Amino acid sequence: MRFQIPIGPQHPALKEPISLRMTVEGEIIRDADIRLGYNHRGLEKLAEQKTWIQNIYLTERICGICSHSHTTCYVQGVEKLMELEPPKRGLYIRTLVAELERIHSHLLWLGVAGHEAGFDSFFMYTWRDREIVMDILEIICGNRVHYGINTIGGVRRDLDEQQVKHILDSLAILRQRSEYYQHLGTNEPSFVARLAGVGYLSREDAIALCAVGPTLRASGVPMDVRKDDPYAVYDEVPFEVCTADTCDVLGRTVVRIKELFQCYNIIEYLLKNLPSGPVAVRAPRRAKPNEVVSRYEAPRGENIHYIKSNGTDKPERLKVRAPTLGNYAATIKMLKNGFIADVPLIFAAIDPCICCAERAVSLVDARSGQEKIISMNSLKTLSLKVSAGKARKREAEWPL
Amino acid sequence: MKIGVFIPELLRHLFKKPATVDYPLQKLEVPRDFRGSPYLRPELCIVCRACERDCPAEAIEITATNEAEKRFRMVIHNDRCIHCAQCVDSCPTEAMLMDTRFEISDYDRHNLKMEWEYVRAVVKPKAEPKTS
Repeated sequence: MRFQIPIGPQHPALKEPISLRMTVEGEIIRDADIRLGYNHRGLEKLAEQKTWIQNIYLTERICGICSHSHTTCYVQGVEKLMELEPPKRGLYIRTLVAELERIHSHLLWLGVAGHEAGFDSFFMYTWRDREIVMDILEIICGNRVHYGINTIGGVRRDLDEQQVKHILDSLAILRQRSEYYQHLGTNEPSFVARLAGVGYLSREDAIALCAVGPTLRASGVPMDVRKDDPYAVYDEVPFEVCTADTCDVLGRTVVRIKELFQCYNIIEYLLKNLPSGPVAVRAPRRAKPNEVVSRYEAPRGENIHYIKSNGTDKPERLKVRAPTLGNYAATIKMLKNGFIADVPLIFAAIDPCICCAERAVSLVDARSGQEKIISMNSLKTLSLKVSAGKARKREAEWPL
Repeated sequence: MKIGVFIPELLRHLFKKPATVDYPLQKLEVPRDFRGSPYLRPELCIVCRACERDCPAEAIEITATNEAEKRFRMVIHNDRCIHCAQCVDSCPTEAMLMDTRFEISDYDRHNLKMEWEYVRAVVKPKAEPKTS
């Protein structure tokens, strides 16, 4: 006997609106379907009406947790369009903030994983330690969440000796805490038992379904944009790509904890080798007509921005592919043949950011269940066709 | 089988100070470069409108009240402001600055509006507008 269970768009297990439809046989999920579109904000269209500078702050607001990822991805693309070469010190600070953001995102995820696994003390402790890195970010950038450190042609703020010392001191504490979490994560029997074997995604499936970030690396594929296509100063910084081969939620936890240590090493290297000089170059207001694709390894995975310019001070098109969107196909695979009780854990393991991923409009035919992605233009034509020739509703009133 | 790897940590926390502060009574100090609300130093404003043009939230509004006397009025809509400090970066004469207030909530969004009426200043902008 098969049943279909809808979870969401509003559900206590999910922090953001998304709809999961699962076909279950008893407790076992046989089929899963993800529906998007509950949090669409029209961000790409808005970007076409704002200038290059204004768009930095718009792309920053695509996501709260990986705000620096989106601005860096965007700014790198615009710098390529404007043929700018940001100074070395600016790139070092940009990379530094990127790595600090990765620490804060991974600590946040560890807490969420603990919470979903029913280990709330772990959640409290990781989030308390996350405050240390949030304080560092506040000191560097002047704000805890939207850092606003990037500008076209470099960064907006410089580091001084005192700040460097503060960061290094705080990192020592964080490193010590992370060592404890690593010890805990691998030794606490209840925690490990809850995570092991949940959400299995084989190496072949991970590649075939284009999984990104820690989800992909936990399936034993050493793929990282920072290594494969180095941007900023990653070609100078020594670090390793962390992988795990258990292919489950435990593996994703291990990858993230290992990445934390890589982050600490990278930050120490950056601060010890910080070159002197200016942090930014002056950017022109216009960009020549061209198009560019920019890639960035966000804490959640590969982030892609496509930018097209037309010679004015505004972009003609900005397309954002957030990492969560790349992981949805793999999530469906992970959910299949799992238990209903594992849904929040599996879903949390990709570190979903739903509002990042909401982009396209899809139409579903209610009778046949057929679905098609439709472009804005054809949607407009369709609406004109439907409303053509009809009498205008002059006396129409707002129902409330 | 290992039991209770977490227990020493739990016990240690019985004797630790709380991580939070008693907020209304005790306040944390904001960092030096904190981005609070933007404000204008009218004696330095040359009405180049760089801040108005670059503001991503369109929160700055400059209008001429008297063209002959070169009197201008600047309104900062703090209810729209996203506190990015781009106006501070765009300003060639450092007339825009950020304060360090963070308790700026109000019951009425119109109370958050700040305005200045001033005569345009004659200040020579720096050769290169600030980019850092």
